[in-house]
Amino acid sequence: MPRRNTRCPGCGSSNIVNDNLYCQAQQVCADCGTVVSEGSLAQDPYNGPEISYSRTTVVKKKPCVNLIQGMERVKEMSRLLRVRKEVEELSLTYYRQAYEHKTFLNVTLQRKEILGGCCVLASCRQQRWPITLNTVSYLLNDDPAVVGEVYHEMIKVLNIQAPAFSVTDVMEAHCQEYKINPGHVPDELAEESRVLTKRAVALVELAADSWIVTGRHPLPIMMAAVYLAWQSLKPNPQRLKMSLEKFCRLGKVQKIKVAGPRITEMKGMLCKLGKEIPWYKQVLTPDNVVSLVGDILQHRYSLLRRAMKAHELSLLEKCPVNSPPAETPSSEVTEDAGQTPATSSVNAENEAGDKDESPKSPSELSDPQAQGSTQNWGKRVLFAPPCVVNPKKKKTERPALHVSEDDHISDSEIDSYIRTPQEARDFAVMQTMLKEQNKV
Amino acid sequence: MDESALERYFDESIIHDSNFGLEEELELQGPPRRVLSSTPSTQRPSQPSGKTGASGKSGDDLDLSFLPDELSGQNEAGFTGVLTCSQSVPTKVPNHRVAAGGGADPAEDQPEDPEVSQDSGVALDCSAQVSTAAKQLQHTPASELNTLASPFCVMTPMTPMTPMTPVTEGSGIVPQLQNIVSTVTLGCPLDLKFIARQARNAEYNPKRFAAVIMRIREPRTTALIFSSGKMVCTGAKSEEESRLAARKYARVVQKLGFSARFLEFKIQNMVASCDVSFPIRLEGLVLTHQQFSSYEPELFPGLIYRMVKPRIVLLIFVSGKVVLTGAKERAEIYEAFENIYPILKGFRKQ
Repeated sequence: MPRRNTRCPGCGSSNIVNDNLYCQAQQVCADCGTVVSEGSLAQDPYNGPEISYSRTTVVKKKPCVNLIQGMERVKEMSRLLRVRKEVEELSLTYYRQAYEHKTFLNVTLQRKEILGGCCVLASCRQQRWPITLNTVSYLLNDDPAVVGEVYHEMIKVLNIQAPAFSVTDVMEAHCQEYKINPGHVPDELAEESRVLTKRAVALVELAADSWIVTGRHPLPIMMAAVYLAWQSLKPNPQRLKMSLEKFCRLGKVQKIKVAGPRITEMKGMLCKLGKEIPWYKQVLTPDNVVSLVGDILQHRYSLLRRAMKAHELSLLEKCPVNSPPAETPSSEVTEDAGQTPATSSVNAENEAGDKDESPKSPSELSDPQAQGSTQNWGKRVLFAPPCVVNPKKKKTERPALHVSEDDHISDSEIDSYIRTPQEARDFAVMQTMLKEQNKV
Repeated sequence: MDESALERYFDESIIHDSNFGLEEELELQGPPRRVLSSTPSTQRPSQPSGKTGASGKSGDDLDLSFLPDELSGQNEAGFTGVLTCSQSVPTKVPNHRVAAGGGADPAEDQPEDPEVSQDSGVALDCSAQVSTAAKQLQHTPASELNTLASPFCVMTPMTPMTPMTPVTEGSGIVPQLQNIVSTVTLGCPLDLKFIARQARNAEYNPKRFAAVIMRIREPRTTALIFSSGKMVCTGAKSEEESRLAARKYARVVQKLGFSARFLEFKIQNMVASCDVSFPIRLEGLVLTHQQFSSYEPELFPGLIYRMVKPRIVLLIFVSGKVVLTGAKERAEIYEAFENIYPILKGFRKQ
């Protein structure tokens, strides 16, 4: 039946009926069918029992999809690295904790993935499973610097302490990468992994004592140590002639460029120690020192002590002269053994000394501060970090100004920084010309 | 450090002269204290009497009232051991100077900087310096004390007794300031395009950065000038240089026609570096000071040491070079270095 005096907005007729066909009452124009008005559900009174939200509608908070995916990725990474079960569980715990923290809640998905890798790294470190940060960044396919940044943030957020590894810890895992077991390569070139590891670790420890390791990337040092160890285990001409590149191809690992200089540094250090061997009378060069590596490593502590003593003696001889002579034993890394006559005389003196190794840890620096400049103390000690022995050229320091903060500022000086009106005009003209040029 | 040696040292000195009670305050290891109140690290009950007696006089006079008396005696070397036997002398020295003057010449605040900052090597022949410094003390204590700032190295004992090494041995190395960052408010909005057009030494690329980069030759610094009127000045090698440079920039802006003022000059960061001249075992250091240090050779060759008090970040390298940053005052840098030096020495030989 027609309702009050409403008109249908569609056709204008006043033939509007109540339509109760659907649950919501509607007023419909009988001629064209437009719905004129609807009842409001909210206005309909509800007289039933009270329905509580928490019992009927609310769902248990499910972990977000990205969190689940991230945990899967963490599991994947741990399985790839073949870590122990505890490490995997610990890294999952860390990931869950860190993910919920506000620092990591709203970051990009890529960063969240890096976070997963960092959790694995942290738990490996805590459980003493040696991996390097570079390994993790390879797994994540990302820049180590970014990984490091996320790692430090995560450590701060989780407030944990993860002691880092030394090079020797990671050595074993690294050695196993090289495929030079007796099965894979011809016998003259093969080495047992364990033997190789043992010798390489000894080399790395020796390098650490002579300041080659601290502050540097561990991987090139490890590669250099493995190469030298492999060469010295069977120093036949074939091995000695093989270059680092060929060795890496043989072992099916990727060569690192920096390993070359590290090999040179290690050989230099070995030369310095090899000079002290009493029964080797020939001139030691970096080439023939490789054959002596076994002996050097076996008697390394006593050789180190001897080298220190020899160095101290030579310094004492020089001291009254008080000039930096060219025949210091502690010169550059690839220093040749032109001093064999000198050292052999020193060795004759120390001949009575013992030769067996006592596990006393060797002392690094020999000398007291000499008078005069401390400019390059690296040249005066037996072993020094290479960055000290070969310092980069320093920029000339500008002399310190003696200024007072109440100095008078001269007008002319300030004027020299301001353009003259003519100059300003020229500059403006040039700018417009450039702009037009760019537009073209 | 060894507290028992500290006690013995001071006990002996107290026996000899109660006036020394004053200096002992300043000699104690730990952060420098400008206020000569009782220090928590002292353990001597006899101490407070000496202190209160000394601080009974006005704070200005206490330091140097005994100077002439001591110097007329023979133990010159021993005496400078007193004044130099503190860990952070440069902060004390201003005290001394003000005290000695009793109002004389407060403008002498800076002279210590050039002298001290240029002395980055170990002052080895202390005896010569000690005697000259002591002689100078006889004249004008006020102006000469700044030269004492240099030989705060190996100490000779205060008293002519058994030569006991003083407990707080200064390192003798002074970190040199390399960079100071400061901010100042010019107080009026600036038209950066206008400045870029009118100033010779300005560059402005709004697409890259929303500030004018201006440089002056003397002191050689760079400033970032923002349109809000705020300015950041970097590159100076001392606090005074930074302030002078900031004033020059403000003058340039003024000359360009803006009503710039020089408000709220504040030094935000100071960077210093020095060399301890022996190699450092960073792996060992990170093991023993795990809570403060972070050493990742794969990321950065140096060890990052975050000292808690004072809040300074130190970058320690295997070559023995140390970079200190994060300080708002020079004293913090010196204090941080004096704190780290004994730790580093511990890692010198193993």
